[in-house]
Amino acid sequence: MSRLFTENLRISYGDYDIVNNLNMDIPDGKITTIIGPNGCGKSTVLKTLSRILTAKSGSVYLDGKQISKESTKKIAQKMAILPQSPDAPEGLTVAELVSYGRFPYQKGMGTLQDKDREVMEWALRVTGISTFRDRAVDALSGGQRQRVWIAMALAQETEIILLDEPTTYLDLSHQLEVLELLQYLNETEKRTVVMVIHDLNHAARFADHMVAIKDGDIIKEGNAEEVMTSQVLRSVFSIDVEIGIDPRTKKPMCLTYDLINRDRAMEGTAI
Amino acid sequence: MISALVLLMAVFVISVATGYVSLSPTQLGRTIIGQGTTKENLILYGFRLPRILVTILAGMGLAVSGAILQSITRNPLSDPGILGINAGAGLMVVFYVMFFTAESTIFLYVLPLFALLGGIVAAAFIYIMSFEKGEGVDPTRLVLIGVGMAAALYGAILTLSTRLEREQYDFFANWMSGRIWGDDWTFVLALLPWILILLPIVFTKSNVLNTLNMHEHVSVGLGVHVERERLVLIFIAAALASVSVSVSGGIAFVGLMAPHIARALVGPRHQGFLPVAAMLGAILLLAADTIGRIILDPSGIPAGVVVTIIGAPYFMYLMAKK
Repeated sequence: MSRLFTENLRISYGDYDIVNNLNMDIPDGKITTIIGPNGCGKSTVLKTLSRILTAKSGSVYLDGKQISKESTKKIAQKMAILPQSPDAPEGLTVAELVSYGRFPYQKGMGTLQDKDREVMEWALRVTGISTFRDRAVDALSGGQRQRVWIAMALAQETEIILLDEPTTYLDLSHQLEVLELLQYLNETEKRTVVMVIHDLNHAARFADHMVAIKDGDIIKEGNAEEVMTSQVLRSVFSIDVEIGIDPRTKKPMCLTYDLINRDRAMEGTAI
Repeated sequence: MISALVLLMAVFVISVATGYVSLSPTQLGRTIIGQGTTKENLILYGFRLPRILVTILAGMGLAVSGAILQSITRNPLSDPGILGINAGAGLMVVFYVMFFTAESTIFLYVLPLFALLGGIVAAAFIYIMSFEKGEGVDPTRLVLIGVGMAAALYGAILTLSTRLEREQYDFFANWMSGRIWGDDWTFVLALLPWILILLPIVFTKSNVLNTLNMHEHVSVGLGVHVERERLVLIFIAAALASVSVSVSGGIAFVGLMAPHIARALVGPRHQGFLPVAAMLGAILLLAADTIGRIILDPSGIPAGVVVTIIGAPYFMYLMAKK
C-alpha cells in the first residue's frame, strides 16, 4: 500500500460536489502528474491531499493515518505543498524564505540551529539559487522565484512534495528547468512528487504515473503510454488528438488536436 | 536596533529639556544619578518621567499591534486605528467617562480593561464578518469591514458625546484628538503589565507570524494552525491597541507607520522586525508629543494630531504606491 492514498473522498464547495467518490493511490518514490480540464477538480484534489481543504466525507491517509486526525506540524515534516504562484512578503530575502521551510522543526522564537542551516544550504545549492541568497524574492524573475519556493519546500525535508501547476506563467526554458529539478530530486533523493500540470506533453514526459481526471472522477490512470491515448484524451478533454512518440524522450506526445464539438466547446467557454 | 535605542534616548532628552517645566541635559544627568535637587527630582520623577513612560509604552503597544495586523492580513494598510479597534476601545472609554469620573484612582486600573473589552468586541466582530466558510478569513475583506466598522463606531462615539456634560466633554474631546492624558505613575502602572506580558508573547510568535505573512495555503503546508494562531494574534493585537489608547487617547497612524518603516529598515522577518517596530513606535509617539508641546506651550498640540499630520500623507503615499 502507498504512503499516501485517498478513500471514498467527497469534496464540496458549499452544496456543490466537486469530487464524489475518489479512491486514489500515490505511488511512493515516483512522479505522479494529474491532468484534466479546467474545473475538473484536479487542484481541489491536490489541496485536499495537502489538508488545505477538508473533505466532506472519506479520508486522506498518510502512513496509515488519517491526515485530519494527525498533528499538522507532523504532517508538514512528511509532506510539503507548493501552492500555485504564491507571493513572498515584500523585501524578504531568498535565504529567509527558505529558512521558513524549517518551521515544522522549530520551537519558540525559531532560532536556526546547525541542522537547520545545513538543510537550508543543501536546498539552496540543489535548486541552484545559492548565488542570490541575499536578494529579495520579489525582485527575482518568475523562474528563479519558483526555484526559491521549491527550495523552501525542500527545506521541509519531506519525502512527499505536492505542487499545484509549478510551471504556470513560466517561459519554455524555465518550465523545463523546474521540471528537471523535480525529476532530479525524484531520481537522486527518491522523493515522491505529485503535481497538477496543464501541459500534456510535459505531464507525459516527466511522469512515472499519470492520472486523468474529469468531473472529479479518475477516467484513467497508469503510465504515460496508457493515459496519453486519443481515446482517453477524447473523453477527458473533448478533443481529437493525434498522438506520436517524442523522438528524443520516446514518450508519447500530443502532436496536434482539434475540438470534437465546436458548439459544445463554445458553450463551455461561455461558462 | 542599537541606533533605534540611541534615537529613543535622544528624543527622551529633548523631551525632558523642552516645555513648561523642563530640565536641561546636565540637570537630567545629575537627577538620574541621584544628585538632583528636590525640585529637579520632582520635575523628573513627578511630572516628566511618568508621562514619557506612558508615551513610550503606548507607542510600543500601538506599533506592535499594527505590525501583527499588517502581517496577518497581509495588507500594509492595516492598523488598529483604521480597522476600528481603537474606535471600539474609544467607545468604552466614553462609557467609562459617562459613568465614572476620570479622577478616581482605583477606576483607572479598570479603564484599560474597559477599553480592552471594546477593542476585542470590535476585533471579534470584524473577524467574524470577514470569515467565509471553507475559505477562512479574507484579508481584503477584513480591512474593508474594519474601515466601515471604524466609521460606524466613531459615529456612535460622536452621538454619545453630545450627551456628555461640559467637563466630561472636554476630557472626551482631548481623548479623541489623542492627547496623552495619562501623566502620573498610576497610568504607567495601569499600562505596564499589559505591555510587559503581551510583547514577549508576540516576540515568541515571530516564527508563526513569518508564516502567516504568506498565503494561507503556504502556512497550512508548513504545519501552522492557521485559524487558531490568527485568532490568538488578533486578540493580542486588539488588546495591545486597546490598553494603549485607553491612556494615550485615540492615536491613529503610529500602528501604521512604525511597522512599515521598520520593515523597510530590517526586512519583513519578524525576529528582526518586531523589536524595531516597537522602538520606532515609542520614538514616533514621544517625538510627536514633544513636538506638540514645543509648538504650543504650555497646553500643547495633542500627540495624536501631530502624528496624524505626519501620518495622513504617509498613508496616502502608501495607497499611491500600491
